[in-house]
Amino acid sequence: MSVIAPDFSGRTVISFQHVWKRYPNGTDALRDINLSVPEGDFVFLVGPSGAGKSSLVRLLIREERPTKGKIFVNGVELGRMKRRKLPHFRRKVGLVFQDFKLLPQMTVHENVAFALRVLGESRQVIDRRVARALDTVSLHGKLGKYPRELSGGEQQRVAIARALVHAPRLMIADEPTGNLDPATAWEIMQLFLKINADGATVVMATHNREIVDLLRRRVVVIEDGQVVRDDRAGRYHEALQASALRA
Amino acid sequence: MRLFRHLLFALNSAWQSFWRNAGVSVAAVVSITLILILAGVNLLLGHALAGVLDSYKTRVSVISISVSDQTPLATVYDFKQQLEADPRVAGVTFVTKDEELQRFSADPRNRDLIANIEGNPVPAKLEVHVKNLSDVDAINNLGRTWRGADRTDPTDYQGDFIARMVKLSAWLTLAGYALMAILVVVSVVIVMNTIRTAVYHRRQEIEVMKLVGATEWFVRGPFVIEGVMTGVLAASLALGLLLGAYRPFVERFRADLFFIPLSYDPRFVSTLGQDLFLGGALLGAMGSYIGVRRFVRI
Repeated sequence: MSVIAPDFSGRTVISFQHVWKRYPNGTDALRDINLSVPEGDFVFLVGPSGAGKSSLVRLLIREERPTKGKIFVNGVELGRMKRRKLPHFRRKVGLVFQDFKLLPQMTVHENVAFALRVLGESRQVIDRRVARALDTVSLHGKLGKYPRELSGGEQQRVAIARALVHAPRLMIADEPTGNLDPATAWEIMQLFLKINADGATVVMATHNREIVDLLRRRVVVIEDGQVVRDDRAGRYHEALQASALRA
Repeated sequence: MRLFRHLLFALNSAWQSFWRNAGVSVAAVVSITLILILAGVNLLLGHALAGVLDSYKTRVSVISISVSDQTPLATVYDFKQQLEADPRVAGVTFVTKDEELQRFSADPRNRDLIANIEGNPVPAKLEVHVKNLSDVDAINNLGRTWRGADRTDPTDYQGDFIARMVKLSAWLTLAGYALMAILVVVSVVIVMNTIRTAVYHRRQEIEVMKLVGATEWFVRGPFVIEGVMTGVLAASLALGLLLGAYRPFVERFRADLFFIPLSYDPRFVSTLGQDLFLGGALLGAMGSYIGVRRFVRI
């Protein structure tokens, strides 16, 4: 069995080493995952529902710990990270989810500002950085709107802006286009490409076959808790077919 | 400055959360108020009882030794000196037969009795002030065995009664503590449940806070403040109600409830206020602290 040697020369952002995740009911959500993501990479995690993509994302943001194996992010082993260090770790990672996770009682500006308010930043710093983040996602005109007054695509942009205010070097997205129509999904993908082009590493779990096939980025296929395929410029369809053929 | 902004955020969140779950918050405040009233009544009764016990203690620490009419004065003075030299004794007063008769006659209840007697039937007395209640018994024995004492009724000391009083006071104190302990547990559970509801209502916000890297205590702080707010609000209500009812209650029921030593002590009010506020704040903080430790983890 090959071990992917962690390379902490400033190039490897994420490294999974023989990672297992077993839930209390006895199911193995992840089995012996080995994965290395260099800085600046754009990785699609694909696979059928229940294959283990979301488990992998939860481990990656230390919502859960692996049952076995080690996960390194920027050279730090997440399993050994102390609870009080966790907030500092999460501030360096931008997180985007399928259900946006916006607070309905707050306006667009307040939702994005919230990420800085919890750090106790001053109003000047908050206003400046929120404006910049909303500029990046082209939402500057909707500052005072509430989430319910926005379309799905706009809500996801707000969520992305919130993830961007900390200027993260790593963006993790779990099905960010899952609730969006194809045209809107494509717009959101353009945003992620832009963020990636600006230097951030992007890891995205997705079911969106068209987008994966069009972009031809790195594709990691997870099935039944295992990495069954890791293509440099992969395709969703081919990847699944190939793994189906092998099985 | 950052700390100040955190505090402001926590206070603001706590205030909003308190009113967002107004039903649960008000129910909690009312419950804690009732509990603090019970605790306050317990304190007031304890205070009144302590006052009565103190007065008993000063009274029973004086033993009156009746001197036999046949005892020469020199023997009495010898014994008086012996007692005064005893380290357990605070002081001894000799009351002559005449003085004792005067005292006896001064009591209007004895007027008829005095009219019907001749001569002086009351004995002279040695009044011994004992320093500690626990030594009263030993000094009493000393008096009883003194050969100069009146044989029929040597002392007026009622050992049994005092022993029973001391025991009763110990039991009442224990019962007071037990009641307080039960009240503390009940209030902590009530506050914990209020906090659980507040956490449930704000679960979305808590989830987002975690995602954007808020520290654990940043997330927990508002809930602890909310708990303290509940406790302090309940303490103010309880104190207001107790103060309003204290004097009228004592005046109305003092005669009916003669077996409970009711008395109004205005000096005790500030102590009661302090205890209730401190108690309310501590109960609130404790309940919410345990609550957030259980329900808010990042």
